[in-house]
Parts: sequence; structure tokens; C-alpha cells
Amino acid sequence: MKRTMVFVGLILFSATLFSQGNDDLSPQRKQAIDSLALEKVRDLSKYISIIGNKDTQWSEAQRVIERAIELFMPGSEMGVSSLSKPEVHYYKVREYFDRLMQLNYDRVVIDWYKIQYVSDLERQPDGTYVGVITVFQRFQGYDKEKGLVYEDTTKKDITVYVKRKETQIGGRMIGFWDVLLGDIRVKETSK
Amino acid sequence: MKMQDAEDKTPTACCIFHIPKFIQMKKIPILLILLITSLVSSGQVRTFQGDESMLYAQTKQINQFYRRFNGEEDVTGKRLYKTDGEFHSQKLRNKYLNILFDLSSPLITKDKRDVFILDVNSKKDPLFLDFHANNWFAEVSSEFKLDGKQIHMILYFRLEKERQGYKWVLSNIHCNAFEKYFNHVGDSVSGENFLHPMSHELDFMNLRKMFANPANIGYYLEKEYYPDQLALFLKEYQDGNLKFVSSNNVKFHFFQIPNWYFEVSYFNRSQNNSGWLISNLVRVNDQEKKEIIRNYTHE
Repeated sequence: MKRTMVFVGLILFSATLFSQGNDDLSPQRKQAIDSLALEKVRDLSKYISIIGNKDTQWSEAQRVIERAIELFMPGSEMGVSSLSKPEVHYYKVREYFDRLMQLNYDRVVIDWYKIQYVSDLERQPDGTYVGVITVFQRFQGYDKEKGLVYEDTTKKDITVYVKRKETQIGGRMIGFWDVLLGDIRVKETSK
Repeated sequence: MKMQDAEDKTPTACCIFHIPKFIQMKKIPILLILLITSLVSSGQVRTFQGDESMLYAQTKQINQFYRRFNGEEDVTGKRLYKTDGEFHSQKLRNKYLNILFDLSSPLITKDKRDVFILDVNSKKDPLFLDFHANNWFAEVSSEFKLDGKQIHMILYFRLEKERQGYKWVLSNIHCNAFEKYFNHVGDSVSGENFLHPMSHELDFMNLRKMFANPANIGYYLEKEYYPDQLALFLKEYQDGNLKFVSSNNVKFHFFQIPNWYFEVSYFNRSQNNSGWLISNLVRVNDQEKKEIIRNYTHE
């Protein structure tokens, strides 16, 4: 709890540094926001790994799903396609996590590639900045008797919304950047 | 607190790295710091240990296509800004422009590619793509149900400025099922199907003939009329006859480089030459360009 408070404090402190001045993002500010966004994506990666892990107890997986959903803007969806089914299938994030938890394998291994690509941030009409972070994930599903029965590598293009907000701390208004994840396009990459 | 539950699953440094007991006992501070740092950065996440070079080479987003085309990203993938020495550099662009083509395409010869790169990356008058400028369009292949029957439709989008930012707006559609409504549109000869030039003196009483056969209505339209499938799309959708099912393939059409048109498609393959690449390249004059652009807008 203490560690979380310190972490939140650091984010607020660093965010205030970047919230001064006009709305144009300097390279330094953009890099700082990228770091915040990547932190969310890393959290999501961690949660997906826990939810998909067959050793994770049901009640714990449910709690992690709740944490994972808090990373997202309400109404966010996963758009999933595979090499055999190129049309996009849509899942609400909760449904996606539920399906991940219920996958019928004895063991699941999820690896995340080190590479990540962070786009520029563009403003939408209401002034909110939008970017996309691309990450790659390898999924392996094992059967007790047959061994590896399913494997895929997916490209995940993750929408990131960045909004300037203000909060009052000790009578002072402190500006910070609020980062939330949005829709995710999940595309199977060729083998 | 719940967040803590998730973090509690993090394996300890000892069980990940199999640290010998004597080292644990001595608690060498530097080693510990290194281990803690690596744990904090990786958390629960297992990192893929294989070769990722192909993914580095791949043009992963259209955003990256722009950066590479313009020379706004260094060879390690780091974003370059105006203050960086290599920003827009001719040497860097030359490197990138050559890998931004689908090298397996029979539509793009090496000669054509070289001429294009010379045009775009000349020392005197280099040409760049502008994300916010006009004259580039997204083409989205989509599936709909029209009166319960699945049909294929192409949606065209372009970027439009609004208030503090931008948005993609639907600029036109194309659907084979709608083509039947535009029979004879633009036909140069109308046969017997016309209103004679003195019809006005008769208060256009001969309109009865014009509306005698629905299949011939296209003959009676002005020759400049351009079929507007978008209007039909809006009508069918709002009447509840047209339901969206799914989108699938996406392409981009670029008209920003004078005398050239090119198309960018996604190549999902295990090669360095993959991701968003130029899939077609055509030399076009301004008049031809205008005609092609009309396909993407209903103007």
C-alpha cells in the first residue's frame, strides 16, 4: 500500500512537470507520456499472463480481471482476427478476459516480445490525445497427454487515450496526465 | 489492496535466477540491485527469448510508415525530432524508402521504384508525406447484411479537422449491389430515351415517358452526374435494411506526391519486408489524379 502511494506520488509529481504550458507536446513531454502509457501496457501484459495462467485460482483471476478492466476506457473492445478467419470478431474486454481464463488447456504459456512500437499522439476533436502502442505476444496451449496443441503469435495494437486532468492536493491544483487504454486490435501474425 | 494480490504472485529473485545459497547469504548489494531492477521491469511478464529482428524491420503501423518515409525515425526505431541531426536526412530516407515497398510485387519494377525515390528524396526539393494534409484515404473492406443477405462493401475514409483535433470521416462507399441503380449513367448515346428540346413548351407533359421504365432512368440524367452510392448507403442503413457485420482488410491511397499515386497495404508475413508497404505505384498527371480521387469522395 505504501509502495503504491509512493508510486502514485511519483506519477503526480512527474506529471505536474509536464502539464505546464500550452497543449503542444514537446518531445520530452511526449516521451514522459509514452512511459506512462507503456507502464499501463506492461500492467495489461502482466494481468493477461496471470489470467491465462492455469495455476491462477478462479477467485484471484476474477480480482485480476477487475484490475485489468480498470486500465480501460468504458466500452473498450477487442477486435480479434486470425489467419484462417480474417474478419474481425468483437469482444468486450471483460468477455475477452473471461474467455482467456476459461481456455481449455492444461497449461498455458504466454510470452511477450521485447519489441514495442509507440506511435505519435494525435488529438481528437475533444482535445484528448490518442496513440497506439504495438506489442507482440506468443501464446502456447498444452495438453497433459498431447503436449503443445496450439500456438500463435499475435500483434496487439493498443489504443491509448491521454487526457490532461487536475486534482487538488493540499489546497493546490496539480495537473497530471491521465492515461487509459482503449480498443485493442488483435491480429494473428503469419507463422 | 487488490492490486497487491496480483503482485503477490511475482516469483522471488531466488526462484527465477537459481542464486546459490552462499551468494544469498552474503547479500551482495550490487547483484541485488541488479536483480530487483530486472524484476521490477519484467514483473509477471515472461519475455520472448527468440529472434525479433524481423519485427524490428517490419513497418508495424501507418505511423511508422510516415516516420520512415519522411526520415523521422533512426535505425534503432527511435523517434527523431527537428532538433536531431538525422531528421529528414537524405541518407536516412534513402535507406528507408527502399524498404517501404512490397518487394515481391510485379506491379512495381525496380526502375519505377528508383525514379520515385529520386523524385521524393531529391536534395534540392525533397517531398514528404503529411498526416494532416488532404489527399490520402483509407479503404476498409467490410461485410454487411442487406435485407438479411451478406454483402461486401468498401468504405472510404479521410481525415477531417474538427475543433481541437482530427477525425476519420466516411467520404464514400462502393457496393456492387448498388450498381444496378446506376444503369446507363454516363452513357454517351441515349437511343430513344430522352426529353426532346421543346418539352418545356408542353410543361414537360412527356415526363410520363421518362418514368415509363425504371431500367432506363439513367439515360435521362445529365452526363456530369456522378453516382452517389453514399446516399443509397445512408438510406438503406437508416431504414434498417443494412446491418454492419465486420471489417477486415484495410488499405491506404496516397495522392500527396506530385505526379504519383501509391497504395499502401499490410503484408502479414514472416519476412523483414512485411507490415505496411507500398503495394502499387503509378505515375499519374493532375487530371488523372483528380479522376481517381473522385472514387474516394462522392464530390
